[in-house]
Amino acid sequence: MLRFVFHIACLLVALGATAQIHINGKVMDSEKVKPLAGASMMLRGADGKIKKFASSKSDGSFDMTAPDLKNCRLEVSMMSFAKQSISLDSASLPITVYLEPQQTVLKEVTVKAKKILEQGDTIVYNVGSFAQDHDRSIGDVLKRMPGINVEESGKIKYQGEDINKFYIEGSDLLGGKYGIATNGINHDDVGSVEVMENHQPMQVLTGIAFSDKAAINLKLKKKAKATWNYHGKAGGGYSWQPDGALWEGELFAMTIMSGFQNMTTIKTNNTGENPGRDLTNFFASHRSTTLDRSVSLSLPDVPDLQSRRTLFNRSAIVSTNNLWKFGRGELKAQFDYKFNRASADAANITTYFTPEAEAGTTTGNRTVVETESGRELSHSLGTMLVYELNQKTAYINNSFQGNITWNDMRMSVTGSLPNSQTASLPDYYAGNEFKIIKRFKEKHLVTFRSKIEWESMPQTLSVYSSDLPADRITQSIRDHAFYTRESAAYTFAFKGISVSMEAGIKGYLRTFSSELPELPEAIPGMTTNVVNTDYFTVFATPKAEYWIKKVDLSLELPVNFTTYHFNKSLADRSGFYFSPTLSMNWKPSNRFSMNLRGGTGRRPMDLSMIQPGFVMTNYRSFRRGTDNFYNSTSQNVSAHFSYKHTNLGLFGNAFVSQSWTHLPYTMSQQLYGDYVVSSYASARSDSRRFIANADIGKTLNFLRANINIYGFFSRSESLLLSENQDVNSIVTSWAAGGKFGGKPLRWLGFDYKFSLSSNRLTMNSSKASWLSCMKNELLINIMPHRKWEWHISGEHYRNEISEHSYKNAFLIDTTVRFKMTKRIELSAMLSNILNLRSYNYITYSQLSSFESRRQMRGRELLFTVSIRK
Amino acid sequence: MKKLFATSILMCIFALGGMAQPKADVYVEYDYTHPDERGIVKKDKMTLLASPEQSKFFNETSLWADSLQSTPGGKAKYREILSKSCTMTMPDGSVVVDLSKGPSKVIYTYIFTDPAKETVTVYDQYGIEDNSYYTEPIGEIRWSIAEDSVKNILGYDCILGETDYHGRHWKAWFAPELSLPYGPWKLRGLPGIVLAAETTNGFSFTATVLGKTDRTMSPMYFAQKYPKRDRKKAQKDFETFINNFHAMIEAQSGGRVTAGWTDIDGNPIEPIKFKAETHCIETDYNK
Repeated sequence: MLRFVFHIACLLVALGATAQIHINGKVMDSEKVKPLAGASMMLRGADGKIKKFASSKSDGSFDMTAPDLKNCRLEVSMMSFAKQSISLDSASLPITVYLEPQQTVLKEVTVKAKKILEQGDTIVYNVGSFAQDHDRSIGDVLKRMPGINVEESGKIKYQGEDINKFYIEGSDLLGGKYGIATNGINHDDVGSVEVMENHQPMQVLTGIAFSDKAAINLKLKKKAKATWNYHGKAGGGYSWQPDGALWEGELFAMTIMSGFQNMTTIKTNNTGENPGRDLTNFFASHRSTTLDRSVSLSLPDVPDLQSRRTLFNRSAIVSTNNLWKFGRGELKAQFDYKFNRASADAANITTYFTPEAEAGTTTGNRTVVETESGRELSHSLGTMLVYELNQKTAYINNSFQGNITWNDMRMSVTGSLPNSQTASLPDYYAGNEFKIIKRFKEKHLVTFRSKIEWESMPQTLSVYSSDLPADRITQSIRDHAFYTRESAAYTFAFKGISVSMEAGIKGYLRTFSSELPELPEAIPGMTTNVVNTDYFTVFATPKAEYWIKKVDLSLELPVNFTTYHFNKSLADRSGFYFSPTLSMNWKPSNRFSMNLRGGTGRRPMDLSMIQPGFVMTNYRSFRRGTDNFYNSTSQNVSAHFSYKHTNLGLFGNAFVSQSWTHLPYTMSQQLYGDYVVSSYASARSDSRRFIANADIGKTLNFLRANINIYGFFSRSESLLLSENQDVNSIVTSWAAGGKFGGKPLRWLGFDYKFSLSSNRLTMNSSKASWLSCMKNELLINIMPHRKWEWHISGEHYRNEISEHSYKNAFLIDTTVRFKMTKRIELSAMLSNILNLRSYNYITYSQLSSFESRRQMRGRELLFTVSIRK
Repeated sequence: MKKLFATSILMCIFALGGMAQPKADVYVEYDYTHPDERGIVKKDKMTLLASPEQSKFFNETSLWADSLQSTPGGKAKYREILSKSCTMTMPDGSVVVDLSKGPSKVIYTYIFTDPAKETVTVYDQYGIEDNSYYTEPIGEIRWSIAEDSVKNILGYDCILGETDYHGRHWKAWFAPELSLPYGPWKLRGLPGIVLAAETTNGFSFTATVLGKTDRTMSPMYFAQKYPKRDRKKAQKDFETFINNFHAMIEAQSGGRVTAGWTDIDGNPIEPIKFKAETHCIETDYNK
């Protein structure tokens, strides 16, 4: 029995063995006639499916087994060799397969990183997905990212709100002067832009104080970290208007290391670009010294044209920004210098509306015709030194800021009142702010703050004219202020509810004096001012905040008692002021958030209005202040909504606000011949303003494009006195527009912008006509070869000068770039090809209209060499 | 004559150089997702250079660091870059080195697959300065193909292959069109480059970039500093090192240096217990 079983078993094994066929052989390189190791062998059945597979060994041999070879094929393949497919029905085994070398064509595919990625409260924009070939700086790319809006000034907003911090690799090197980075850092050095929503910059307040603002963080590519990055350019050319040579130069250097960071930029040009714009501090709070220039002498500007079209300049900036990390703290030092020499020539027609003027006519209005030729020369030196320790249990910040500006102006006017004016308008400022916050046992916070500011703003204005009694008037103004604020606060926070009380004192000392030797005969009044506007305030600010999960409710009840001392210019005063605000933020999901805010309050008037004598603001305008002390009241409500869907690349936001102001005085304007006199008069004056705007941005992946659409509406109504009569003026304006940019083809990119705006002034129910302004901008970038780039751009303006009368302007520029090497690039730019040399426009202010004919920069040819690391 | 001699010598050097530095035909970049010792899911970039003759799998930053340090001048430059970007002095005077702040070498793995030698050679680090290498036979992995499971990755139709390898079950998608038997990590032997692979506990590889290349496949830098070691022993030693990290660091420095673990925010946390099943891509070394 056992023997039988053994035989059966042997038979089965033998049958099994005979059922497996060996497919063996060798793979050889037909050219080198040597074995190929690692070649892929696939045995496909009659149905085409893989039955077996193997790789050839070091000697090129292979061995597979299969039960049946009927209709089977052996596929032998290896990259860089032609694939062979052999029918095994007729093949004799073992088989030798000769593979012939052949170029393998690969589908070179990259899975692109997601354009926009959401990681909790952080939105990550992939820079490479938004950059185009003609972009240079990271600022150029930021403009294309939906949800992020870069204004003409360079200010960055996210979902309609100003950002509260701008970081580079998590460090706040530049503070509010982030224009240096956005205009300096090459976009190719940045991997991604992170937007941190609801960003609380002070770690010590994390979980206690809600923030509805976002911060931006630039994440650099590895190649740009821990090393010096630099680039620069130098250019020269010729301009047809102004007739002469052109130049531009730029040097930018940056290093971002964990212990030290530096960003230095030097720029100079006379091509109409204002490099000083890079140094604007977008986080600067209003100076508490509250000094304003009394002399208002400025070159006429053009509201609708890009400034580079009309700025006749010679400008330079030098800025160096350093950050050192010491343990857990960091020290920042910024030094800036800017120089600007701008000149302008313009012909102006100013019409002053008077109440008796009939609607739609100019009967009764006063018209002044003049041509202006001016030059402004300014130097500015600034420094900021900051020490900051930002930890979860402690926060220390000391910021010192110093700024010196010299501004000299010269204007010549012909026309109704021929004259020339010179003004010297320096400004000296120094301020220090110290803040320390300590958190104890998670729940208790103690804060001390100290702020000291000093500012001096002397002003000299001289007017030369044969119509003046002594052919010349020179006015000297001295204006100095000192401000201090010291406070302490305690906060108790428990399970999302925090209650705090801040209390302190404020002191303000200001001396203002001005002297005019005489006034034009027609104008009656005092020619000197010697005014002190000092105050001392004791204040307290109780605050309660409820912040649990999706809702944040915050109530602030600031109250203060202030005594004012005017050194006999006015009787001393004192008063209580209370201005509560309530705000609510609701974020039901990561996609949607809503912010409601409301406030009311009583405030003292602007103390610079206390000025019983006349001050000459320019050759034909005089201003007198008030001889009384007023308080004003105001209310405001606003709502802000935002929505985003990052997977769809969709971002939208809307803002609505209404405010009411009640003043017991009103601004009054009187004409004495060709002279305009502004003053204030006791009269109830109510004004209100409504603003609404919305913005939607979306990525369009199929065109590698982005689209953005916006709308804006504003209506403000106020009461003024003109020629001793009430004038109820309403200014209504709206704007709509959009931008659309993309790169549908590897060699083609484009950017298109459109805007349409319109405004109307209504006085005492007589409505002036709507005046509109339309602007189209198109840039097309073509890359016929990877080393060559050609872009052509055009701007079209269609401005309504008077009803149904339009002024069209076309401007065309073109640039050719040649990328000589990875580091060197040559470019030639021809701007304003049509050589348009003048531009007319009309604008309205509350009581006047202003029509201007301005000179523009003519055709320009500029050759530039750019070098980068 | 001298000129001819010099030219000949130069040509020989170039020829030798050419022999020593084979060029790759294909490069593939992978996202390598894995849990680190703290259980935090990490994503690292890895690169595969492949030609019919061999493949090399590595991290670009590590290659850059090793390449830079292979010359005396480069070594100094690398140290300078690292010290500037990674060193911080705390208020109490202590020095903290945070390697994540700079372009430091944090992935030590280099894997060379050589079909002619039929071996896979793995170079790695298993403790502080504890380098070693081991080899595996190329044909060790037995794959089964599920041809009905097809996935398109980077434009290539990929077929699913499955295997049990060194303690984990792997699913790998390979592209028959890319007929080279390589893949990420040690995954090899399929009739096409593996473009995606995954196993349990969050370990996975996904190709993100693929293209032609003529990059040279430099041999292992400082190979002489890597003694041979048994794979399982090396991995056991690594587990011991991680689990006794503090004590070893303190002992090596004579108590001058203390070491500890932190969470992703830098807050100190309890010492981590390294477990093969949770933390290691291969789990069979304890069996």
